[in-house]
Amino acid sequence: MSFFGFDTNLPRDRGQQRNKAPGFGQPQDAFADFAGRDAAAGEALDFEETYDGLANQLDETGDDFNDDTFGAGPSVGRDFDFSGKTDVVSQAIEEERMRYAATRPAPMVNYQQSQPAKPKKTGYEPYKDNSYIPQLQADANLWGTAPKRSPGPTAHHRQPSQPKAPRKAMTLEEVEATLRAEAQQQARQPPQPPPSAPPQQLPNFSFPQGQPQQSRFAQPIPPPGQPMSYSHPPQILQRPHQQGQPHGSPQQPLQQPRQAELPGQGISQPQILQRQQRPQPAQPPQRTTPVQQAQQQRPPHESPQPRHILQNPNRLSGHGQPMAPPPHQQQQMPGMQNFPRGMPPTGPGNHQRGPSYNGPIVTNPQQILHMTEEDKAAFMLEEARRSKRNHKIYMLSKDNGLMTPQDKNFITRIQLQQLVTATGNVDSQGPEAALDEDFYYQVYAQIRGASRRDPHQPASQFAHTYLFQTGGRYGMRRNMRHGDNHMQRMEQQVQRAVEAAKAKPKNKQLIIEGSLGKISFSNAKTPKPLLNLKRPEGENRPSSAARRPSRNPNSASSERRSTLRNIENVYGTLMRMEDHERNAPSRLSDDSDTATIQMHMEWREELRNLNQKLWMDLKVLEPIIPNSPSQHPFIAILGHPKGKKAIPRVFRHLEEEQRLTVITMIVVHLDQLDVIAHALPSLDSNTPAPLAVREEVDLFAQVVMPSLFSYVNDAPLNIIVGLLGLIVNRTTIPAIVRTKVGLSILTMLISRAELLRQASSAIDPSEWDQWVSLYNSLFDGTEPSLPSIFPGTVVEADDVHVWQFLAAMGVAASPEQQQRLVIGVKERVMETVGVSRTLPRELGEQRLGHVNLFMRAIGLDVDLLG
Amino acid sequence: MLFFSFFKTLVDHEVTVELKNDIQIKGVLKSVDQYLNIKLENIQVLEEVKYPHLSAVKNVFIRGSVVRYVHLPAAAVDTTLLEDATRREAAQAAAKAKQG
Repeated sequence: MSFFGFDTNLPRDRGQQRNKAPGFGQPQDAFADFAGRDAAAGEALDFEETYDGLANQLDETGDDFNDDTFGAGPSVGRDFDFSGKTDVVSQAIEEERMRYAATRPAPMVNYQQSQPAKPKKTGYEPYKDNSYIPQLQADANLWGTAPKRSPGPTAHHRQPSQPKAPRKAMTLEEVEATLRAEAQQQARQPPQPPPSAPPQQLPNFSFPQGQPQQSRFAQPIPPPGQPMSYSHPPQILQRPHQQGQPHGSPQQPLQQPRQAELPGQGISQPQILQRQQRPQPAQPPQRTTPVQQAQQQRPPHESPQPRHILQNPNRLSGHGQPMAPPPHQQQQMPGMQNFPRGMPPTGPGNHQRGPSYNGPIVTNPQQILHMTEEDKAAFMLEEARRSKRNHKIYMLSKDNGLMTPQDKNFITRIQLQQLVTATGNVDSQGPEAALDEDFYYQVYAQIRGASRRDPHQPASQFAHTYLFQTGGRYGMRRNMRHGDNHMQRMEQQVQRAVEAAKAKPKNKQLIIEGSLGKISFSNAKTPKPLLNLKRPEGENRPSSAARRPSRNPNSASSERRSTLRNIENVYGTLMRMEDHERNAPSRLSDDSDTATIQMHMEWREELRNLNQKLWMDLKVLEPIIPNSPSQHPFIAILGHPKGKKAIPRVFRHLEEEQRLTVITMIVVHLDQLDVIAHALPSLDSNTPAPLAVREEVDLFAQVVMPSLFSYVNDAPLNIIVGLLGLIVNRTTIPAIVRTKVGLSILTMLISRAELLRQASSAIDPSEWDQWVSLYNSLFDGTEPSLPSIFPGTVVEADDVHVWQFLAAMGVAASPEQQQRLVIGVKERVMETVGVSRTLPRELGEQRLGHVNLFMRAIGLDVDLLG
Repeated sequence: MLFFSFFKTLVDHEVTVELKNDIQIKGVLKSVDQYLNIKLENIQVLEEVKYPHLSAVKNVFIRGSVVRYVHLPAAAVDTTLLEDATRREAAQAAAKAKQG
């Protein structure tokens, strides 16, 4: 077996190997020779006998445990069949077996068990690996980012391949020799990889298994440290193959026969290999000759391939995933080499070692026997822990293999693509752009508290969220280090992808020289424009918005259009102001640096400009043209529902003085307001105003009045006096008092004055006198209308506002005026009281309550009316 | 993107989708994409007698291009906000048109 022609195998081992040989299912012919050799050694026979007995016993128990852990025995059956399909759970099963075997004194059992496990690995594994990795690389290129992962996976391949390469070449004899060596190793040094010799074995075996995939990965990088440690032949072979150098191939055939003869060397070699592999996980990809490839393809590779995606070989091993035994692979490799195709090559011992043992690994049951009680206990504890973890891994991996690596790769690509398209554009433009693109949703989510991420969150968070989630998922199972590593790589790739997308040319059109047309690009976010109209500069339509409607009085429609445009301008400015508010710099403090202060200065300046623009848009200060056929533009704005709706928002952004001006304008044009002018009930009939008008009135009461109230409720008496004066002098009181809005405004002013009088003693007497005289003239103007002040009939009950008005008037009235009030509305009071008695109790009391608003204001009560 | 943005807020609300072949499907909006493809769950076809083949269907994916109307739940629509969003959209379109 060994390079030097030594037969390193002990007689016992040889005997063991014989036993194994038949089980592997390899070509029987080749093994026949071995059997002959074995027969020659008498010692071997003894060992076989002993082993057989132990093995049987152990197997049964081991199987039992497997059932407990894995819940199903079929895997064992597969193993024996040596079919490649069992690779899914192979690692876990192997590890379990190892533990049990280790705990028990008989080493032989372990060996046998291990063998079945190996067959699980099939030639398919390498195939998967290859496909997966290349795809990833290709994807990265598409994104314009360099595929950095490739080196990682390749390294993995190399490592396994190197040890394997020599194995492939092995002949049956060599294989047998390696088997023997393994047996010896297991007995003596359970942890060590049995078959260093196998690498040297004949290439023929390896070829069938070998897959072309590895060749892709294979890079000209020489295998570092490994060659040294390995037996000479395998190293040499590996290097040449990987590097594409011819040296390796010739040596292999020669070495193989020798190796078979020298089992001892083989044993030592595998150990070396293992060590090397661990430290050198990141070796660059090497090209593997067909033989090497075949080796790689072997079962161990299969399992690792999925991990290759991750690129961390260590992880795989550490976790002990059932599917792929990457760490084990190396160890297994030597054993594997002996068995050309997916055969159950090395004893399970190798596999088991990789994951479980620390330092003084108990590869052989014998070792346990020699251990001290403490060590034994510690070892058992460790084993228990390990088995627990493996079981957990197994449970988690139940569905492993549902998706092929290609499937996963495909999904990953889709996800990454989505990420890029989802975040790429937005990312490049910042959160503000995201808000523009998705304004309704973002703001709606804010308002209604949708369970969404903060709209102002940087768009790149998409990627982070995505990655974090994936990381969390993997983190559960994987070793921290390796898992993190994988996630980091994923993250890096995604970031690269996103960056690449950002760096993509933003041109939406491509004009090829000499072509007649242009090619426009489109994506989901920016669909290809079907029409590309360019508006010539300077052709800004006559800004009818700015024009006073009075200039073309003939055209009512143009007036209406200009009003609507004014409203839109107001809204446009409003939204800009609201955006500006959102972007307010952080609060100033005493220790703010000059940059911050500067930002504040600029922000405030901009705010001022916007405020001025808003003020202009409102048209409040447009000159009042008496007797003009057209409305004042501001009043016209209020004539539209959306104009009314703008008022509360506008008020938020106006200065105190501007608000007063707005209110003044409204009051001055009170009888021109649509909600008053259109809502005037016709004197001769009681038909209520049309529905549209009533809706307008309600809307005005809902959105405009609160703004007015809030201002008036803080206003001093002189302003109240001024406003009331405007109403009395500039409007037609009799008309106003017959409308709901008019009454509400009057009520508002009168009650505010009354409140001021009662609340503060510091009222300027002259102002109060002024107020009283105004009130008197208001009263005089109202009195004639008192009979018609109530809307509708008594039965239709929408008259609360009237009673409120009367109450306000009554409180402020002199006794003599109160008398006149009572006389004016006496009829209505009596009617209401009468009607309320015919109404259901609840409704009736409500009506009476309304009347009482007024009655109590003048010191009476409906109850007095008996 | 206004409609996409808008429909996203209707997720988990019940809507009625009227298709261009006159089938009306009421169901809970589960998902919508930028093509306004719609995914409905717990669907119920109005005029079920007319479309018996849909009586056993529990959820559907509707290609956006075959939708004629989507009946909205009024309570779930913020009209003011929608108006503003429309203004923004219009402003953006105008800006783009100017840029050419």
